[in-house]
Amino acid sequence: MNILQIARKELLIHLRDKRTFIFMIAFPLVLILILGTALTNAFSSNLAVGDMNLLYKDNIRNGQLASSWGQFVQASQQEGITFTKAAADEDGLKTVQDDQYTAYAELSDDGIKYYGSPKNAIENNIIQGMLTVYADKFNLAAAAFKADPSPSSVANITVASGSFGNFIQETSLNKDKQPGSIDYYAISMTTMIAFYACLPASALIQNERTRRTAIRLGASPVSKIEIFTGKVLATTIVNFLCIAIVVLFSRLAFKAEWGSHYISIALVLLTEVVLAVSFGLACSYLFNGGAARAFIFIVIQVISFVGGAYFPIDITSGVVHQISQLSPLRWANQGLTQIIYSDQASAAIPVIVLNVGLSAALLIVSGLYMRKREGL
Amino acid sequence: MNVLEIQGLTKKFGDFLAVDNMNLKVREGEIFGFLGANGAGKSTTINMISSLLRITKGEIRLLGKDIAKHNRFAKMNIGIVPQDLAIYEEMTAYENVHFFAGLYGLRGAELKERTFEALEFVGLAERAKEYPKNFSGGMKRRLNIACAIAHKPKLIIMDEPTVGIDPQSRNYILNSVKKLNQMGCTIIYTSHYMEEVEEICTRIAIVDHGKIIAEGTKEQLKSTITDTKDIRIGYKSDQPVNLKPIRLIQGVERVMAQDQMLLIHSKAEVNNLNAIIQQLIQDEVEIRSLDEQAPNLETVFLTLTGRNLRD
Repeated sequence: MNILQIARKELLIHLRDKRTFIFMIAFPLVLILILGTALTNAFSSNLAVGDMNLLYKDNIRNGQLASSWGQFVQASQQEGITFTKAAADEDGLKTVQDDQYTAYAELSDDGIKYYGSPKNAIENNIIQGMLTVYADKFNLAAAAFKADPSPSSVANITVASGSFGNFIQETSLNKDKQPGSIDYYAISMTTMIAFYACLPASALIQNERTRRTAIRLGASPVSKIEIFTGKVLATTIVNFLCIAIVVLFSRLAFKAEWGSHYISIALVLLTEVVLAVSFGLACSYLFNGGAARAFIFIVIQVISFVGGAYFPIDITSGVVHQISQLSPLRWANQGLTQIIYSDQASAAIPVIVLNVGLSAALLIVSGLYMRKREGL
Repeated sequence: MNVLEIQGLTKKFGDFLAVDNMNLKVREGEIFGFLGANGAGKSTTINMISSLLRITKGEIRLLGKDIAKHNRFAKMNIGIVPQDLAIYEEMTAYENVHFFAGLYGLRGAELKERTFEALEFVGLAERAKEYPKNFSGGMKRRLNIACAIAHKPKLIIMDEPTVGIDPQSRNYILNSVKKLNQMGCTIIYTSHYMEEVEEICTRIAIVDHGKIIAEGTKEQLKSTITDTKDIRIGYKSDQPVNLKPIRLIQGVERVMAQDQMLLIHSKAEVNNLNAIIQQLIQDEVEIRSLDEQAPNLETVFLTLTGRNLRD
């Protein structure tokens, strides 16, 4: 029961501290909004393709080639490319230079001469790619006809050479779900702020000493372990509550994607808060006074950076990669991304195990130091 | 009956001996003055009685039970009023008392009742819902006391409960101490104000270098130093008085100048008053008043420890 008394008191003090809410709720939400809005383009995988207009001069004499070109034009127009036949006296190159067309092509029985506009690189490359495919297909059909001019073979070759379309086929992993910038920062800021719980945790016992209430607590019939447990419990509840508000608000107000595996997500975040609180407490016993706070602050900045809190880190080798693997934020971010975007609720398990294991180790260290120490 | 018995109590911090084989008995119903200059071992002793520090050697018995073996029993029966305010500024007066009393196993209606009783006792019942940040220094001190008495301890340890407050609040607290005592509480009282100790304490112990060097009623303590006298001379002088020639006068042991008042501690059998006055006239010091007193507790303390209580 004394644990609950201590926890209740801690909750009361935390909930009356406006700074807790400003820092633990407003701060991450503002960061999600600012970073998510400012870095929208960095997370977008879509490319805008403009109009594709091809001006061509038709000098084809070969009937088969003319027929094949006609089919190609028809198929390509369905893909959104506009073909314009140049007038006899029209200077095709100049029209491209003047940006009237994306590209200019001169067709003859000997082949295709192609002039693309460097101003529209993407559109130019697409048209060039399609013409190359067309030329390759026609050459293949012509070579096959030379080798086997039988009627059945001719029929097959004609069908093959005349079937245009599907010039570019896009295949991607997870093509349906990819985090946008708001989604990314909703996860990374939430896990980062969850770890910030170590800062108030580092002051849990120190505050009692500063206020001199440690004397009263120490003189009361409450064991150190009860005081310790009550404080850890209350700090975890308050910080998890703040994190839950950040998640809810980011989902409702910013439309951030949090998937549908709520329990897995909650467990990952809860165990991360427990880890942060345990880390903060351990630091308060291992370092004296302000040194604990300074050390924690440095650790938070490093693990936030390498954990991808401010921007995604894609380094796959070297020292930074090694360090990043040790960041609890990285585990949490990767775990949450898998849960949300790959629909894998089980991705929470390794993160939870790591968080709980480390928390237990840190709490044991704190407990041993606490027992050794005289007074609170 | 002894509420508290200390036998051979020793506390070491590394090589430093803070409390040295101390023996002490506090009887039921006493207001026991525990005096010592800073660093004398007073707080260390109090912290061991309150189970805040481990005992290196010796034994403390509370109501006949060894506190090392019956720690919970001891804690349940002790109330501590620390020298520094030990309250939560973020909680109301009621919440502070309620929380600390709750740690002693009180629950529900009884807890509520005891909380109100304690607040009423220190005169804060009407301001129970206010936060301590709105309180004066004296009111905070009273709240500090309320947090220690709500669970009705048998022994209350008050470590300088009146430090830094106005005379009105001090009187209120001193009256509260007396009232608590009348209600059956035994009190250990420490203070740097000798007049407080003289006023309220029934027995006094003087601690120096971790040892009890004198113990008894104030009359018993004063009677230990019949061979000295205190001379107080009020004066008016723009220049600081030269104390050196006065110190050289036969029988004079100590001289202090404070607020236009000379405090001279001298051997009782030597008649040196004339010599002192002549020296002051020679130094052109205008004498305003003169008073020769028998030793008080301050003198006793000074004689026994060689230090002032506020040192």
